[in-house]
Amino acid sequence: MEQNGPLIEIRDLTVEYWQGDRWNPVVENLSLHINPAETLGLVGESGCGKSTTANALLGYRPRSARYRSGHVFFGGQDLLRLSDSALQRIRGRQISFVPQNPTTALSPGIHVGDQIVEALMVHHYSKTAHEARERALDLLTRVGLPNASTIFKRYPHQLSGGQQQRVIIAMALACDPQLIVLDEPTTGLDVTTQAQILDLLMDLQSSYGLAMLYVTHNLGVVAQICTRIGVMYAGQIVEVAPRNVIFKQPLHPYTQGLIASVPRITAPAQLRSLLLRGLLKRDELPAGCPFAPRCGFAQEVCFTQSQHLVEVGRDHAVACWRWQEIPSLAQRLAETQSVAFRQCERPSCQPDEVLLKVENLGAAYTVQQRHLFARPIPRLIVDGVSFDIRPGETFALVGESGSGKSTIARALNGFIPYVTGNLRFDGQYDLTIPVDKRTRNLLRELQLVFQNPDASLNPRQRISQIIGRPLQMFFGLSGAALRRRVEELLEDVRLDRRYYDRFPDELSGGERQRVAIARALAAEPKLMLCDEVLSALDVSVQANIIELLAELQAKRNVAYLFISHDLAVVRSLAHRVGVLYWGALCEVGTTEEVFSPPFHPYTYLLLSAVPEADPDQVMPEARKDIGLIISEDKPACPFALRCPWKSASHCNDEPPPWQTLSRTHMLRCHIPVEELRQHDVWTDRFKRA
Amino acid sequence: MVFARVVLLRALWASATLLIVSFIIFSAIEILPGDIAARVLGRYATEEMKAEFRRMRGLDRPMYVRYGEWLYGVVQGDFGDSLVSEFNVGEVILPKLKNTFLLALYAFILYIPFSIILGSLSAVFREGAVDTFLSTLTLIGLSIPEFVMGTLFAFIFGVVLGAFPVVVAINMAQSFGEAVRMMTLPAVTLAIAMAVYAIRMLRDNLIEVLDSDYVRMAILKGVPLPRVVLRHALPNALVPALNVTALNLAYLIGGVVVVEKVFAFPGIGTLLIDSVFLRDAPVVEGCALIISAVYILANLFADVMTVVLNPRLRTAR
Repeated sequence: MEQNGPLIEIRDLTVEYWQGDRWNPVVENLSLHINPAETLGLVGESGCGKSTTANALLGYRPRSARYRSGHVFFGGQDLLRLSDSALQRIRGRQISFVPQNPTTALSPGIHVGDQIVEALMVHHYSKTAHEARERALDLLTRVGLPNASTIFKRYPHQLSGGQQQRVIIAMALACDPQLIVLDEPTTGLDVTTQAQILDLLMDLQSSYGLAMLYVTHNLGVVAQICTRIGVMYAGQIVEVAPRNVIFKQPLHPYTQGLIASVPRITAPAQLRSLLLRGLLKRDELPAGCPFAPRCGFAQEVCFTQSQHLVEVGRDHAVACWRWQEIPSLAQRLAETQSVAFRQCERPSCQPDEVLLKVENLGAAYTVQQRHLFARPIPRLIVDGVSFDIRPGETFALVGESGSGKSTIARALNGFIPYVTGNLRFDGQYDLTIPVDKRTRNLLRELQLVFQNPDASLNPRQRISQIIGRPLQMFFGLSGAALRRRVEELLEDVRLDRRYYDRFPDELSGGERQRVAIARALAAEPKLMLCDEVLSALDVSVQANIIELLAELQAKRNVAYLFISHDLAVVRSLAHRVGVLYWGALCEVGTTEEVFSPPFHPYTYLLLSAVPEADPDQVMPEARKDIGLIISEDKPACPFALRCPWKSASHCNDEPPPWQTLSRTHMLRCHIPVEELRQHDVWTDRFKRA
Repeated sequence: MVFARVVLLRALWASATLLIVSFIIFSAIEILPGDIAARVLGRYATEEMKAEFRRMRGLDRPMYVRYGEWLYGVVQGDFGDSLVSEFNVGEVILPKLKNTFLLALYAFILYIPFSIILGSLSAVFREGAVDTFLSTLTLIGLSIPEFVMGTLFAFIFGVVLGAFPVVVAINMAQSFGEAVRMMTLPAVTLAIAMAVYAIRMLRDNLIEVLDSDYVRMAILKGVPLPRVVLRHALPNALVPALNVTALNLAYLIGGVVVVEKVFAFPGIGTLLIDSVFLRDAPVVEGCALIISAVYILANLFADVMTVVLNPRLRTAR
């Protein structure tokens, strides 16, 4: 085993899935190897076969899949041809797995500590139950859960997402494996939690010499953690190279497009000439290169003949017919056609005109009752939040999950049982009234777009009905006029007219989100509440929707309340930003102001936790962050418990003052502005830790 | 704390439900056609005799008075006297209830492992031969009424094979072993009638759980399949099956009526049917109330068990 060759090698793997009537290949002739102690990143859009490849490394296949051909060599054995019991001895012992969603991956009815003990016992790694328990406690401490004995006795639902993922990582490490397969391990987590988990993984990398396969769609994450990166498209590896080569000299047009599509937090103004167009459509692949239909440089040969990976440099392989010409072609394209990624110029409205004024908003879902006869008090999720939105502008609310972003949107919509404060919309409406008591015109002017279009579009209605409904309801349109208007709206969101009679499940995720946007626009709203509308989408689709939203705003002067945990997206889209922590705002300003020093300590923390798709940038402060704390008694400054720069003791006792930096920029902190100004996340990011 | 509160609330609801049920039972019997006086005194009784009988038993008073009186007694454990035999209803019901309870217990003991094992096999080998076979079998079980099944068993095992007695004269049993042997046929019939539902339910739940992330995680951590099923999958699949079991438990006490009749088993079901024939209102009311109480208690038990099996409901976040 201890030779110089790769630790594990996939050779010519083809995996097929049963799709109702036939076997469809999801991974085709894929070859890949992982060297000892290296972290290989596997990136690509959803549906490209990343997870299937990850599963193959454990010899695992879902019920509906079959291995058509290929081998997975590990320690002289072919994992795809081993018996179940032989695989059992390898899984969790030599190769372990970390899944995407820790919440559903831990057994709900078993103490998390016992789940680690189980891994140790089934592999006879620990001789006795006592020894296993000791080791489990030790592992929990090592993955950054200091109160291990308390955590040991917890059920999964009693832990936060970050803690759950740490438990899973402890479980993966339990038997000292040689390889850990991580399938999107931080995708569902907050940026700050993600930064902590990445930090932990990097730590383990250097102290254990583990090999890892890191599957993700997030290029920022691979830039931070991986030593080598494989880019997958339509079940094939299109390019594989060391990290710096992938990010600095990508050769495959798909790799270039993928990197260009990532919204960047440091450089919001990007060239969009290389942005990915279109979508991966599995059933419309040409005989040649699968990327040819979306490629700006495709020639005839690309459509007809497939190109296999060719070595183009040291450790660098690419599958492209024109790889030698691509760099100069891309350069020329950038020079001639490049359009700067939309910069947020100030909207053309009077600065004093206000569309939505929120003053001292408080919102609660439930009441708390200390004892049976006590007067119930609303349990405030959001407390004392004030901001305003002007016509035609994008105001973004950012913050970790649990900060109350969505609660604010729900409160504005009248879906929250307990709302206090002064909410004035369009000069005439009071938004504290619940949704069922609102006038039709108010409902029309305030529209919603949800995170998940799969769940927000009725699967039994045709697209025409979905978009047509608000037109009938608010404008009484029917017949030919209705049809014309629906078609116009489809055009506005850049969907083909042919979609008129289709059902939502015939559309891709991005197209469905466009339908949801068209439905909201149909009502001709003045304000659209966009709650994490881009979170469920691939980067290339995200980039297109960001552009669409900006274009629609310019055309219709609609304002957006844009709720997102993705700071890079916010930077490229929002005019003004509010940063929310534990139900209270801590900084409000224009995007430029919030994203440049002086930073509120929390803003700094959030920004530094974002993994940039640039291997030269590190996440400076995030390493020391302790994570979201929600406890029974809230200090006067909600962020005091976690603040990295907290100096004064009065942070806990006295509510921090709002410090006004400009007419538009305010931040709420005890630390004087001059002191805050000394921290610059952008220069800190380039100082290697 | 959370747990105690849940149990207390459910218990309060259960009592309230029982009170409503008692009223419904009482009024239902009130509007039942047929005259108890005519039944007891015979066809040739004169109107005066019947009136005198009613007066003596207090049947001439308004319904709400009698309901109040009855309820007052029931709360103290007194169900009144049988109109026919003049024994206290409690004394009439108790021995029969004991018999039924024994039969139910026997059936239940058969039912639990039977459904868990077959349901698990079906799910683990889903879409395989075992699963297809079991699905067919349970479908047949579902479509045959239990009295047909009982009669069929009585014929095959009792009459043809002579292995078990066809008429269950439980009171004549000399030993425990003999009692068990006597009760086997009705108990098996009941167990199968309940299990067919439970097997299908458990199979579907278990398949869902087997597809879950945490089961996949257990497999990918190298846990052997039997252990994956027993430790990770089954406990979580049992929760929804528990509610079916609660309904089954109630069916056991209430629905045994038919099966008891087939085997002439001296249980509460047989007593209920006989008393309805005789229009012996206090006995019918007593039986019905006890059956309802068992039904409600079984559901209460299932609710509590759901909380016990699911730590999410048991522990605060």
